[in-house]
Amino acid sequence: MNGQTFWRQVKEIARKDLLIEGRAGEALFITIPFGAVALMLIPLAIGTDKPLLAQVGPGMFLAVALLFGMLVAFRQTAADSTPQRELLTLLGTDPAAQFVGRMATSTLLLLVFEAVLAPVTIILYNPGRIPGWPWLLLVMFLLALGLSLVGTLAGSVTAGLRTRNTLTPLLVAPLSMPLLLASAQVVEALREEASILLWIALLATMNLAIAVIGVLTARPLEESSR
Amino acid sequence: MRKRSLIVINLLAVLAIGTGFTFAVLAPSERTQGDFAKIMFVHVPSAWLAFLAFGVTLVGGVVWLVKKSPLADRIAASSAEVGVFFTGLALVTGMIWGYPVWGTFWDWGDARMMSTAIMFFVYVGYLALRRSIPDPETRARRSAVLGIIAFVQVPLVYFSVTLFRTLHQGTTVVRPDAPIDPEFLRALMINLGAFTLVYLAFTGWRTRLARMEDELEEAEAVSDFEIAGSGITAPRLGEVTGDV
Repeated sequence: MNGQTFWRQVKEIARKDLLIEGRAGEALFITIPFGAVALMLIPLAIGTDKPLLAQVGPGMFLAVALLFGMLVAFRQTAADSTPQRELLTLLGTDPAAQFVGRMATSTLLLLVFEAVLAPVTIILYNPGRIPGWPWLLLVMFLLALGLSLVGTLAGSVTAGLRTRNTLTPLLVAPLSMPLLLASAQVVEALREEASILLWIALLATMNLAIAVIGVLTARPLEESSR
Repeated sequence: MRKRSLIVINLLAVLAIGTGFTFAVLAPSERTQGDFAKIMFVHVPSAWLAFLAFGVTLVGGVVWLVKKSPLADRIAASSAEVGVFFTGLALVTGMIWGYPVWGTFWDWGDARMMSTAIMFFVYVGYLALRRSIPDPETRARRSAVLGIIAFVQVPLVYFSVTLFRTLHQGTTVVRPDAPIDPEFLRALMINLGAFTLVYLAFTGWRTRLARMEDELEEAEAVSDFEIAGSGITAPRLGEVTGDV
C-alpha cells in the first residue's frame, strides 16, 4: 500500500467517525456539558475560598480534561460493532490507518472539549494571568493527542469485551497519568517562570512512543477482534 | 521448567532469604535513620524485581506476537502477577519507612512514590484485562500489546527521581561514587539475590499452574463439545416389535 492510499483511508475513517459523532452527539452534547458540571461541582465540594480556587483552577481543568477526555476517547460512537469491523477488514482497510483515523477524530473532539472547558475554568476559578500562557495551547494539544492515543489503543484492546465500559477507564487512567503530571508541571513551571522544555519533551516523547506502539500493534489487535 | 528444578530454586530461595535476613540484622545501622533504614533490604530489592518482572512481561509479549508461543504468554502473565506483588511490597515498605523518617505514610510531592503507584495500577489493569477475555489466543494477543504499552511506565518510575523535584533519594547504588557503607551494600546485594530467587520460584510455579489451567480449560472444552449426531438415539427395537 502506498502512502497516498494510507492517508486516504485515514481521512475516510476519520470522516466516518466524525459523521457518526455528528449524528449521535455523544462527545459534544453529553460529555462536554458533563465536564462543565464537574468543574462547577468542585468549588461546592472544597469551599468557595477564592485564592484557593484560583490556585487549583488549572489543575482542576487538567484533571477534568483527563477524566472526561477519557470518555471522549473511548466513546460508544467510536466502538465498531462486529459487522462493521468485518466490513472494514473485507474492504482491505489497513488497521494502522484505522488506528490513526480514529485517533485523529478523538484528538479533534478532545481539542473542542478543551476549548469549551478552558473558558469555563477561567470564568469559574479566575486563575489569573499565567506568564507565558500561550505555551498552554501547545500543552492542551499534546494532552489531547496523548489522551486520544491512549484511549484509542485501550479501546482496541478492549474491543468487543463485555467488560469494556468498566475495564477501559482502568487501563486509560493510570496510563494517562504521566500526561497529567507533565502538563501540571508545565503550569507550575510557567508560574515560577522556569524552563518548561523538559516537560514538553516528556509529553512529546510519551505521545511518540504510544503512537509508534499503536501503529505497530494495530494489525495484531485487529486480528484478535475478528 | 521441570518440577525438580523448581523445588531446587525454592530451597535455594529459602536458604538465600535466611542468609539475607541474617546479613540485614548484622548490617550497621544508618547514622540518622537508625534501624529504620534496614527496611531498604526489602524495599529496594522489591522495587528492582518489579522492574525485572515487568521487563519479562514485555519480552514475553513480544515473543508471543512474533512466535505465538503459549509458553511466552504464560511467562508474561505470571511475571506480571509477581511484579504486581513486588510493586505492592515496595509501596507498603516505602510507606512503613516513610512514617518515622518523613513523618508521613504518603507524600504527594514524592514522584517516585506516585509513579510507582501508577505503575501498580497499570499492571492491575493488565491482570484485569486477562481475566476479562475467555479465548486464550485473543487474551494472549491483547495482553501482549498491553504489556508493551504498560512498560512505558517503568523508565518513568526509574527516572522520576531525576526528572521531578522529589523527597525520594536519588540514584544511589549504581552511582560510581555510591555514598553507601560497604557492609550495608553487601547485605543489600545478598538480599537482592535472595529476592531474585524468590521471583524465579514464584514465576516458575505460577507459569506451571498457568499451563495446568490451560490444559484443564482445553479438556473441559473438549468434554463440553457435542459430537454431530449425538442428539439422535438408537431405535428401541424391542418396544417396536412388542407393539406389532
